[in-house]
Amino acid sequence: MDNNRQGAKASYVALVFFIGLWMLVPSAVRRFNREAFAEFQAPALHLVGKGRDLARYWELKSRSPEELAAASRDLARINAALELKIHTLDDARKENVRLRELLRYPSSTEFVTLVARVSVRETSSWWQRIIIRKGRSDGVVPGCPVVFGDRVIGRVSIVHLTTSEVDLVTSPSFRCTAFLEGDEQNNVVHVSGGAGLSLTAPRALVSIIPVEYNPPAGQIAKVMTTGLGGVFPAHLTLGTLESGVHSTAEKHLQEGVLTPAKELNFIQEVSVLIPKYPTAGEILLTPADNSKPEEFR
Amino acid sequence: MKDVDGQNPSAPSDPISAWRLRAVFCFFFVGFVYVAFGLGYRQLYQSVFLTSQSDNQSQRIVILPPSRGKIFDRNGYVLVDNRVRWSIKADLLALQPEFRKEYLDLLSKEKARAPDRRPDFDHLQQTARLNVLNAWLSKIWFIIDSTNQKAAQGTAKIKSTPDLHPEERMVHADALRKHLSERRALKFPLIVDLSFPNSGQSLSVEASNRAVARFIEQFPVQGPITLEADMVRSYPNGKLAAHVLGYVRDTDVIKGELDDELEERFNNLQKLGYIGKKGAEGIEASYNESLSGHSGWERWTKTSSGYNKDRLEHQAPKQGANVNLSLDTKIQKSAEDALAKIVDSQGKPLPAAAVMLDVNTGEILALASQPSFDPNAMADRVTQAYVDTVNTEGGWLNRSIQGLYPPGSTFKLITATAGMRSKNIDWDDILDCGPSYLVGGRAFPEHEPAGYGQVDLEKMLAVSCNVWNYQVGLRTGPENLAKEARRFGLDTPLLQKPAESENAPTTELPNPATRMVVPDRAYKLRVAGQPWTDGDTANTSIGQGYLLTTPLHMACVAASIARGETRTTPSIIHDPGRDGRHAGAEPIGLTTPQLQALREGMLRCVEEGTAKSVRIPGLPYAAKTGTSEYFKNREKAHLAWIVGYAPADNPVVAFCVLVEGQLDTSTWGGKTAGPVARDMILAWQSGAEDK
Repeated sequence: MDNNRQGAKASYVALVFFIGLWMLVPSAVRRFNREAFAEFQAPALHLVGKGRDLARYWELKSRSPEELAAASRDLARINAALELKIHTLDDARKENVRLRELLRYPSSTEFVTLVARVSVRETSSWWQRIIIRKGRSDGVVPGCPVVFGDRVIGRVSIVHLTTSEVDLVTSPSFRCTAFLEGDEQNNVVHVSGGAGLSLTAPRALVSIIPVEYNPPAGQIAKVMTTGLGGVFPAHLTLGTLESGVHSTAEKHLQEGVLTPAKELNFIQEVSVLIPKYPTAGEILLTPADNSKPEEFR
Repeated sequence: MKDVDGQNPSAPSDPISAWRLRAVFCFFFVGFVYVAFGLGYRQLYQSVFLTSQSDNQSQRIVILPPSRGKIFDRNGYVLVDNRVRWSIKADLLALQPEFRKEYLDLLSKEKARAPDRRPDFDHLQQTARLNVLNAWLSKIWFIIDSTNQKAAQGTAKIKSTPDLHPEERMVHADALRKHLSERRALKFPLIVDLSFPNSGQSLSVEASNRAVARFIEQFPVQGPITLEADMVRSYPNGKLAAHVLGYVRDTDVIKGELDDELEERFNNLQKLGYIGKKGAEGIEASYNESLSGHSGWERWTKTSSGYNKDRLEHQAPKQGANVNLSLDTKIQKSAEDALAKIVDSQGKPLPAAAVMLDVNTGEILALASQPSFDPNAMADRVTQAYVDTVNTEGGWLNRSIQGLYPPGSTFKLITATAGMRSKNIDWDDILDCGPSYLVGGRAFPEHEPAGYGQVDLEKMLAVSCNVWNYQVGLRTGPENLAKEARRFGLDTPLLQKPAESENAPTTELPNPATRMVVPDRAYKLRVAGQPWTDGDTANTSIGQGYLLTTPLHMACVAASIARGETRTTPSIIHDPGRDGRHAGAEPIGLTTPQLQALREGMLRCVEEGTAKSVRIPGLPYAAKTGTSEYFKNREKAHLAWIVGYAPADNPVVAFCVLVEGQLDTSTWGGKTAGPVARDMILAWQSGAEDK
């Protein structure tokens, strides 16, 4: 009995000692530990992602030949449609380049697209952050937009060597500007994460909407990036305005709730848009020392 | 539990000890009661007072400014709006560690530099704060200014913001000192307005949006620097209807109007007010009370050094009520555009005014005055240079309602009415009108050197014959002329309204003219100390002499004649339920042929008379032109007038245009003022067709 008590006492003392020690160690050491832990954890995260891919593979293997044949047919149709679209886009791109050269107009900011598998979602902040299997070694930098198709998924917040953490659109640390579909005045509105209540699906808040704005009749308004901030390309979809908009308490502006892209539910793969030129914010805020973790918040 | 002696072992056997024990017990009992009572007194009886004392020391109320109500035209078009103002602010409380670090750095440098001298701690503290804030500000500018490509190359050329002077890109020591002494609790504004309206190079909407977007997307979300949005007054149409709308200016510090319950609740708390906006001119001033709204409030805990810490509760401000004006933006714009085309020999717009009324209701559809000013330039901190420019041009005066002018030949409508009502002339009487008329030994000229010959009422109105009016005026007499002018309300102040509260304005627009002059014998004796002469009567009959009126009054005269009445009560406020009754109005008092001849004469004025150059094919309208003389800078000049109504057969709108002519007397009613009236009528017609 006495031994047990003494053992418990010693545990508490050790706990207090280590907490005290942790608080006293220099921040650089703490940061190193955190980064080391992230890198140590990375293979496990990769494994989880690969495991999920394998499970999906075996699941598909168990399908009947008829099902697979039907899926193959559907896929062939989709492929044909996409081929056609690629052709059209290719023509449009060539025309765009020709016109720009004709007018001596500088080429638009270009992004390098990097496809990344989603490794895991952070369970502590479900819906708010995902970890992708691409990192500093792949050229990812903090602040890069992360998209799926033409939908914005979020933004890279922390970059490790082989993985990166992405703040989703619904994360409290995400914000950007947007245009609303149907707003002829093209008023800039503010989108910020963290609008959902506890235990409900996370949402983002769309604020600073002029009172004159009316969502297009009979349809849900899309919320689209402005392309003005130098981070997100223009006309990407951030989500839709859920059940319209409502006036603020002062009645001079409106706000609404943004429902993010549905793919957030089961997103497996995303594209990281690495800008050709780093943003001014990135230049200012990225630590010069590459050994430290890069963070954008 | 007694011992062998049968005594209680705990009870002292010694009587003295027992007494001592009782004394100690009593002492402790009294002490306990005292403490318990004191505790109860403090916790129960004094709890409200002590809580209040505690709150006084640790909490404050921040009063929040409300947005002003909007102003619309009669069709719901926004004339005065509130725009979003994006400001970048620094949380001084969150920056305290940075201030402290910078202060210690500066202190150590100062000590190293001059070890024997005692440092100026206050100065160092202020410098530390400035250094930290300027460092943040330079980061903000770097992000806002540079394109990504330029930033990467380290050649961030400012493109998205105006070329501000370096001083304008820094935090000013005075501003920071003032903020710390007066508004320490609030965040410090690093950039007050990201559209830079006061820089003289305000950004386009797109450039302003870009600056906002760059900050939002590239600056860290969490941190001491935040982007905040509030609403400020905006006049989306610039100078349009500036004299009607007015502008706003800063108030003194407003401590807010909390309701009685809250006032009592927060009675002892420190209240931090705000510098709000109040109407300084136009509707902004006369309807200031309803436009202003109600302040909101926030209750904050504060730190020992006076910064706000945590917000405990709040109530949002309530926006002011909207005001719906009777103006029609389309007509107003056409009036102002047409006035802008009337320029002097140097190409500068001539001072002028234009009014259009709804004949039936008296609602004002257009009220323009030139030169004007841009209310946007007045909404924030106005520059002295701009005020001087407007002063020099005479742009503050609303000539439509404040300018007093001799009405010239437009007064002939009154002279004719007076003559017919006093039975000195009838509609079909013909008078012989030569090149001049002798009055009191002096020849009063006709403006047509050859004279007009045989002239009846209709012809007189068409050609604006002076001699006809001299004769009729002299027959009618000055008292009847004055009486008729008063019947038409030429001496009555207009735009009156009930006050919203004590000391509130009693007119729909600030300071409409009240010193109109309808002269008679008594008036001349009073102001000039001389008796009235026939020459005065002749002058009055053609709208010259002592007569003074405003363009709005003359527009009302035209509207009254169109309805066959004497008075029109104009209003700048739109009321769909207006019944068309006018205060003090009575039938004009002419027989049907007389009234018909009066109206026919006005129609002929446009069809074949002095206003024929501005006739509108397919839209007959009635008008009377006037060209009166006045002295401008001690030199004779012309005033060009035109009054009338349209359409001639079924009047809907009445109008009056006045142009202060050039010194070379090249200004004439039909030629100069007529085109403005024509454009207003066309704008009205186009609007009516759209409906």
